Amino acid sequence: MVSTEQRQHAEHIFLSFRKSKSPFAVCKHILETSKVDYVLFQAATAIMEAVVREWILLEKSSIESLITFLLTYVLQRPNLQKYVREQILLAVAVIVKRGSLDKSINCKSIFHEVSQLISSGNPTVQTLACSILTALLSEFSSSNKTSNIGLSMEFHGSCKRLFQEDDLKQIFMLTVEVLQEFSRRENLNAQMSCVFQCYLALANQVLSWNFLPPNHILSCREVMHYIAMFEATQNVMLKPTASWRETLLDHRVMDLFFTVHRKIREDSDMAQDSLQCLAQLASMHGPIFPDENAQLTYLAHLMEGLLNMINGIEIEDSEAVGISNIINNLISTFPRSVLTALPNELFASFINCLTLLTCSFGRSAALEEVLDKDDMVYMEAYDKLLESWLTLVQEDEHFPRGCFVQPAVQVFNSYIQCHLAAPDGTRNLTANGVASHEEEEINELQEDDRELFSDQLASIGMLGRIAADHCIPLLTGLLENRVTRLHGQLQRHQQHLMASADPGTVDRKVLDDLYEDIHWLILVSGYLLADDPQGETPLIPSEVMEYSIKHSTEVDINTTLQLLGSPGEKATSIPGCNRTDSVIRLLSAVLRTSEVESRATRASLTELLSPQMGKDIVWFLRRWAKTYLLVDEKLYGQISMPLSTAFGADTEGAQWIVGYLLEKVINNLSVWSSEPDLANDTVELLVTLVEKRERANIVVQCENWWNLAKQFASRSPPLHMLSSTVQRTLMKALVLGGFAHMDSDTKQQYWAEVLHPLQQRFLNLINQENFAQICQEEAVKQEIIATLEALCGIAEATQIDNVASLFSFLMDFLSSCIGLMEVYRNSPETVNLIIEVFVEVAHKQICYLGETKSMKLYEVCLTLLQVYSKNNLGRKRLDVAAEEDQYQDLLLIMELLTNLLSKEFIDFSDTDEVFRGQEQSSGAGRAVSAADVVLYGVNIVLPLMSQDLLKFPSLCNQYYKLITFICEIFPEKIPQLPEELFKSLMCSLELGMTSMSSEISQLCLEALSPLAEQCAKTQEKDTPLFIATRHFLKVKMDDLAEYSELVETLLSNQRDAVIYQRLADAFNSLTASSTPPTMDRKQKVAFLKSLEEFVANVGGLLCVK
Amino acid sequence: MADADLDFTIGDAGASATYPMQCSTLRKNGFVVLKGRPCKIVEMSTSKTGKHGHAKVHMVGIDIFSGKKYEDICPSTHNMDVPNIKRMDYQVCNGEYYCTVSTSYIFTNFCFSTFQLIGIQDGYLSLLQDSGEVREDLKMPEGDLGKEIESKFDAGEETLITVLSAMNEEAAVAIKAMAK
Repeated sequence: MVSTEQRQHAEHIFLSFRKSKSPFAVCKHILETSKVDYVLFQAATAIMEAVVREWILLEKSSIESLITFLLTYVLQRPNLQKYVREQILLAVAVIVKRGSLDKSINCKSIFHEVSQLISSGNPTVQTLACSILTALLSEFSSSNKTSNIGLSMEFHGSCKRLFQEDDLKQIFMLTVEVLQEFSRRENLNAQMSCVFQCYLALANQVLSWNFLPPNHILSCREVMHYIAMFEATQNVMLKPTASWRETLLDHRVMDLFFTVHRKIREDSDMAQDSLQCLAQLASMHGPIFPDENAQLTYLAHLMEGLLNMINGIEIEDSEAVGISNIINNLISTFPRSVLTALPNELFASFINCLTLLTCSFGRSAALEEVLDKDDMVYMEAYDKLLESWLTLVQEDEHFPRGCFVQPAVQVFNSYIQCHLAAPDGTRNLTANGVASHEEEEINELQEDDRELFSDQLASIGMLGRIAADHCIPLLTGLLENRVTRLHGQLQRHQQHLMASADPGTVDRKVLDDLYEDIHWLILVSGYLLADDPQGETPLIPSEVMEYSIKHSTEVDINTTLQLLGSPGEKATSIPGCNRTDSVIRLLSAVLRTSEVESRATRASLTELLSPQMGKDIVWFLRRWAKTYLLVDEKLYGQISMPLSTAFGADTEGAQWIVGYLLEKVINNLSVWSSEPDLANDTVELLVTLVEKRERANIVVQCENWWNLAKQFASRSPPLHMLSSTVQRTLMKALVLGGFAHMDSDTKQQYWAEVLHPLQQRFLNLINQENFAQICQEEAVKQEIIATLEALCGIAEATQIDNVASLFSFLMDFLSSCIGLMEVYRNSPETVNLIIEVFVEVAHKQICYLGETKSMKLYEVCLTLLQVYSKNNLGRKRLDVAAEEDQYQDLLLIMELLTNLLSKEFIDFSDTDEVFRGQEQSSGAGRAVSAADVVLYGVNIVLPLMSQDLLKFPSLCNQYYKLITFICEIFPEKIPQLPEELFKSLMCSLELGMTSMSSEISQLCLEALSPLAEQCAKTQEKDTPLFIATRHFLKVKMDDLAEYSELVETLLSNQRDAVIYQRLADAFNSLTASSTPPTMDRKQKVAFLKSLEEFVANVGGLLCVK
Repeated sequence: MADADLDFTIGDAGASATYPMQCSTLRKNGFVVLKGRPCKIVEMSTSKTGKHGHAKVHMVGIDIFSGKKYEDICPSTHNMDVPNIKRMDYQVCNGEYYCTVSTSYIFTNFCFSTFQLIGIQDGYLSLLQDSGEVREDLKMPEGDLGKEIESKFDAGEETLITVLSAMNEEAAVAIKAMAK
């Protein structure tokens, strides 16, 4: 056994061997005599490193003979271990690359050699030839495969550019020749197949080359770009330079890859490479095409080849992803104008093929899900194809009208079929038709289907719009049918329960199947009917609008409204139900689902319901309401009569539906408090209803809304059983609703119902004589916590037009909260929540506040910090949660300070006059800036920070970010700080620079530089800031002094005159450019540049030592 | 010396040690009774069986006295017991009698009941209440905190001791130097 020390010792020997000077003769000797593979490997590495390091000193001839030696060595020893051989070839490649610019060493002779090797017909030799080419390619690609040889990006870029114009083409031609040769052969034995595979992989590598644009000087940004390229080489689109025209526009090249694939498609490894080559060819674009015509010819040929390849074969599992990549690349790369210029027949058969492929991949993907496979190749392929469809149909005006309708119908149908249970669908059916039904544990981290499959659903929804005539009635019919069945099933269960009264005996299989059907139908309907653009007002999709308009003449508006207004009845039982607007009928199908759910809860069947379905319903309604409710005719060129009659502003329909949605929300909140996600989606629906003034105006006219407000204010069941986040959002919604249009009496009454009880209860409680005695009682604590939660909710409701009143309301509480800090100083969970209220208020409101109001907020925040500090300073807690509690408090406090500081760069108070009339203008010049406040705040909490607490990475980060922020924005404030604060700030900086992570020290250095500039500006030498900064600079300067010493030692130890001169020159030019030190940006850049040059130039030399 | 049995009635006689709460309303950092022990909730997550199943709540708590970890999982509609937690500050001083005056912002009529630590015996703290009664049932905490109390007591420094109580169990958990 080898001990650890022995191993380390051995490693050390090799490492120092690799650093030895001019090891060439020794290495050659080792290579020729040693039998130990690992030693051979190390010798090759040593040669490579030494050549790069001692490049300047080597003669061209000796380098060339070294290359010849290495190549001959490898050729003569076919039985070398693979890793040794590759290492030697790597050395060759590195040497060639290093020499390609300044010593005119080129690949020509190597290529000559290689083509001879290839023509030898000996598989081993041919593989070796391939390895040589691959090594060169990797080295020159300037990608993550490239060795690190300590040269500038510019060097790598220039080498690459030179290489791609000539040598790369040469490699590609050699590769193509080999592939051609092999593809002509009838039978390939295993050995030949291996060679074939090597060259195929090489071809793939060439086609994945990330081409640099020719002949131009790199800008700084481009340099960054190439650096990024070093990191990633995946998904490069093929964009060759114009000089590649003859090579890649030759149809025979493309044909060859189709032929090759046909030949090897059953070998899954090779098939991956050949399909990837084709996918790269399908992504070709750029200057290689002289004109659009050339592009068209190329695309037509590609498409024909592809269709020939796909039709007439049964696709292997391993081909699915590759084929979908080809299609996806093709559709996203070629411009619409080229696609539409294709011969009609060709385009039609392409679309037809794409349709069949999509449906078939979809079915296979469903099978994969049933079998719970780890590797979901069909799902990936299906995703790709759906993405391609989306790209295609999003710009469908370029294509002949209606050309995508039939394909869309087919793809849509197959999607629905895969997601419905038997007999209508095939969900959970294995290939031989056996149903599988497993219930797995799903944790909260697993995304909901609507997010998990959002891309798929968006594509399917889009296709559904394209074929609205078919898809909307289809969804409606299926959903109505499922709802009727669900209703019947629940009724049967109810009777059954009344008979036996044991819910455990209920078989949920039928129910769960119905729920799952409904789940998918609602998701697809939601994605079809509406988009969910973040921030903007979503519009009714034009296809849906057109569809509704097209049929509006056949529609009876009254029956439509009747259908909409009677969610408790079966749709088909309404006379004339077939003459109703289909878009409205789809919505009303969802409302019918919702009604069945609500009735079941009233019949105490909640246990049997699916919370998932409940979520789907409110999710749909929310998405729908954002787009359709109170549809604004001004936003549309043309509007459908049924839609505007049913949902337009000032319509009974709109009022009715708002009332209905409100009732739904209230019902959900009372029966589903135990389902956090569902309650959350529900309350979000409520927020949607009130966040827009127009909708809120209707909402506040509903009696139910007032009931909800009263009920919530009274803190009685069931609303108080909701989780705290839901309660917060509910409070937010209630406050938002208060800013709807109401006459002043009503408004007063509203606030009296919503906000005043909160205040009243709170004041009554804390003003009780014995509050100090009862404050620890649970009921009291609960009440306090509920109030604090509500305050957070109120703060969240802040908008520019309500900030004035909300601020005054909250301010009263904030002062009381400070009292609570005293009372509950021993109750960390309450303290934490109190700080959170302050954080929320500062976060939401500070940017709108004028001077006086800001001052008030600053003041109260500072008092909070003082009290917190007083209660915690010198306190020692040793219970289990102590550290965690303190960490959370401090994190919130840092957040609070950062929020306050944000006033300095986000301030709407000057432009927006929300406080006009209230604010007494106090003349020019702000007395106290946010920075003062924050610095003062930092001073208060600083003593509470300990090095242990700084071990919480997020707290540490937040803290140093805050400090750096302050120094960067207000370097002039720093010298004016009180002495103690100044000292502790400087201590923090020192601590950060010396004993924290590199990220933190970087932050500290960033903080330091504005401080140093501040010193330089004022030119006063005895200010404390100057002294402190000098201290820091000294820390850094010590390094510099060491540096000079190091230089001296290096130079004196250097006996070799050539190297001595080089080093001395290099050091001189390094320091020359950096004196005299000014703060000019140009100077800094110049210094950085010479530093870079220096490192590249002598870095290798210094290592010789 | 007082009878140990009597000491259980100190504080809120009659108030129940726990009260029920629906599982879904519990929150992280809050408290719950797990396996009969008062715990601070340090982790809370939900899960369900099957896509259409109902939520279950999974809780991890730390015993507020022993620091031991407990876990439980239950349907989110169920009620869980929540312990009544009390934290009182006791002033420790040597000889003289102090009353902590709160610098409360808005409450003027508020003051903690104070106790005088008159000695440390056999690992128990002796505290004198306002009423003149002595309670000697509070164990001297082990480890650093105990040492700290002892040294502060010996040095005659004025300090506050925070006593945590829940479900008929009490422990000193923190000390703080009194603001002068």
